[in-house]
Amino acid sequence: MSPTLPFDLAAGWVQQHAVLPLLYRAGLMQWEEVGFGWALFAVYGAAQVAVTYAVCLPLERCRPVERWPDRRAVGVDVLYTLIARVGLLPLITFVLFYQVQVALTGWLTDHGIIPPTLEGVFPFLLGRPVPTFLLYVVILDFAEYWRHRLSHRLDTLYALHAVHHAQRQMTFWSDDRNHLLEEVAGFLWFAAVGLAIGIPPMQFPLLVLLLRLIESLSHANARLSFGRLGERLIVSPRFHRAHHGMTAAGQRSANYGAVLPWWDMLFGTADFSRTYARTGDPTAEEALATGSYAAQQWAGLRRMLRTLAAGHS
Amino acid sequence: MRLFLRAFVAALLSAAAIAGTARAAGDVLVLNSGDATLSIVDISQLREVARIPVLREPHHWALAPDGRTLLVGDTGGNALFVLNPDSFAVLRRVPCADPYQLGFSPDGKFLVVNGLARNQVDVYDAATLRLVHRFPLASMPSHLAFSPDGGRVFVSLQGARRLAAIDLGRMQVLWQAEVGRAPAGVLWLGGRVLVALMGEDDFAVLDPADGRIERRVVTGKGTHQLYLSPDQRTLWVNARLSNITVALDAGSFAVRRRYAVPGGPDDIAFAPDGRLWITERFARAVAVLDPASGAVQSVDVGRSPHGLFLNAHAVPASVARAD
Repeated sequence: MSPTLPFDLAAGWVQQHAVLPLLYRAGLMQWEEVGFGWALFAVYGAAQVAVTYAVCLPLERCRPVERWPDRRAVGVDVLYTLIARVGLLPLITFVLFYQVQVALTGWLTDHGIIPPTLEGVFPFLLGRPVPTFLLYVVILDFAEYWRHRLSHRLDTLYALHAVHHAQRQMTFWSDDRNHLLEEVAGFLWFAAVGLAIGIPPMQFPLLVLLLRLIESLSHANARLSFGRLGERLIVSPRFHRAHHGMTAAGQRSANYGAVLPWWDMLFGTADFSRTYARTGDPTAEEALATGSYAAQQWAGLRRMLRTLAAGHS
Repeated sequence: MRLFLRAFVAALLSAAAIAGTARAAGDVLVLNSGDATLSIVDISQLREVARIPVLREPHHWALAPDGRTLLVGDTGGNALFVLNPDSFAVLRRVPCADPYQLGFSPDGKFLVVNGLARNQVDVYDAATLRLVHRFPLASMPSHLAFSPDGGRVFVSLQGARRLAAIDLGRMQVLWQAEVGRAPAGVLWLGGRVLVALMGEDDFAVLDPADGRIERRVVTGKGTHQLYLSPDQRTLWVNARLSNITVALDAGSFAVRRRYAVPGGPDDIAFAPDGRLWITERFARAVAVLDPASGAVQSVDVGRSPHGLFLNAHAVPASVARAD
């Protein structure tokens, strides 16, 4: 049995019992195929949230780095996660990526250019979805390393990224705590790379979800290291906590890698010190740390506009 | 780049080699639009026996006028895969922008390709596959049907609630007519054009001369595809939301029977034993419907199966044994 069968059948059920009736009533049945794409990735997103919860919650309970008497600030991060993984992210990533890919690759084909794909460059990958998928992961993670590093390097970008770093109660829910504009910019960057290497539209959101599953774990409030070798293979909660440390906010940070620490090791930004720092950004206003979803979004936007007005990069 | 292309085609050929030997009882080729593969289903065993990888998103197919090649359109892959229609071995790949539904004109002159995502209808020379004319047609040109003489092609514009008629002799759009929400499958039948309305519960019957709607026939919610049976007596219509396949008299359009077919029924292929093979878009399966009893058997295939094609070897006795 295909391992994706339960997800596909669940998505089919969602499509037939929720999406199609809605589209039918709204007079939008022409989008039914896109609707199935959304249903598929919403199901994968929901499953991913469940897996993350099942794995990370026991870890946070058994081996917490910090204990907080009041976890209200974590509640907003749950909302971020649900919006990003079940609702908005699948919709944006699939619909936009699909439309852009079709437009671009169709235009290239019209002009006698074969649109690039990994299978085109490495024919042995054709019909081998697992190694192809893993290669996509490596390439996208490399792209994410540079996007993330740039978001710390430039003040304007960091003004938005501060929403992510302001959290003083970092948990596995915190991975999706991002400003909407940063989410969109991140998507556009991922999409550009995805187009360049010809990622199939149906795989693109799955790749994003897989990367984010590991990223969720790396944000967990857990004393967890993967050992001397393991930490150099995949990003651990300890490794990523160094990136979120109070003294590492803004331009002075380290450990930018999202899934693979290889890029930090390669480009001299790795910090394998054995400490579990307190997290947060002392330069961030309180609304960014403990405000509501809307307050955080507004505060991030205001900070970016102020940075732009001050003429910073 | 040429070296890469050669290697790519070689990889395709080797991947397809497993499918290179057709079983005597006959096979069904199923186009799995959601996972970039083609399933080969053995009719006698009612099970998938091989998978052929393609690039991105195979939806529909067209059999060449001489019957010697089968074209499979891969929309996201911007390619036509040319297959042997008996063995389903991949012979070659031809670049083609956004091929959704496609078809050869009955006179054998043209291959018409609908680009649903790119809002275009492309007309190719059937012999050379050279682009002859492009019609920018908004929006979402999805399905098509030809007049029997091959002079006209009728294209449903899913996003515009319209049906367009194109004169392939003069290469011009003759008319566009408002038909209803989300028009999908199109069929020429008895001198009329039928168009299924996925956003409604019926299909419209139009005068091909001017696009005037003569009548509407209620079938079921999400009416999606229309097929004429090989004996030309029965019109088969799939309704996506109602999950039914409806049999109507091909002359009067009187409903004979409604069959429950799960999973969002889509395309149909007719087996020589009289059974219908119907893709279940949202259930990773193909339904095999016995019209006499109404019994449905499901065969697991890939994700979001869409088009399907029976090769020439189908033997009714083998199917009977599988029952």
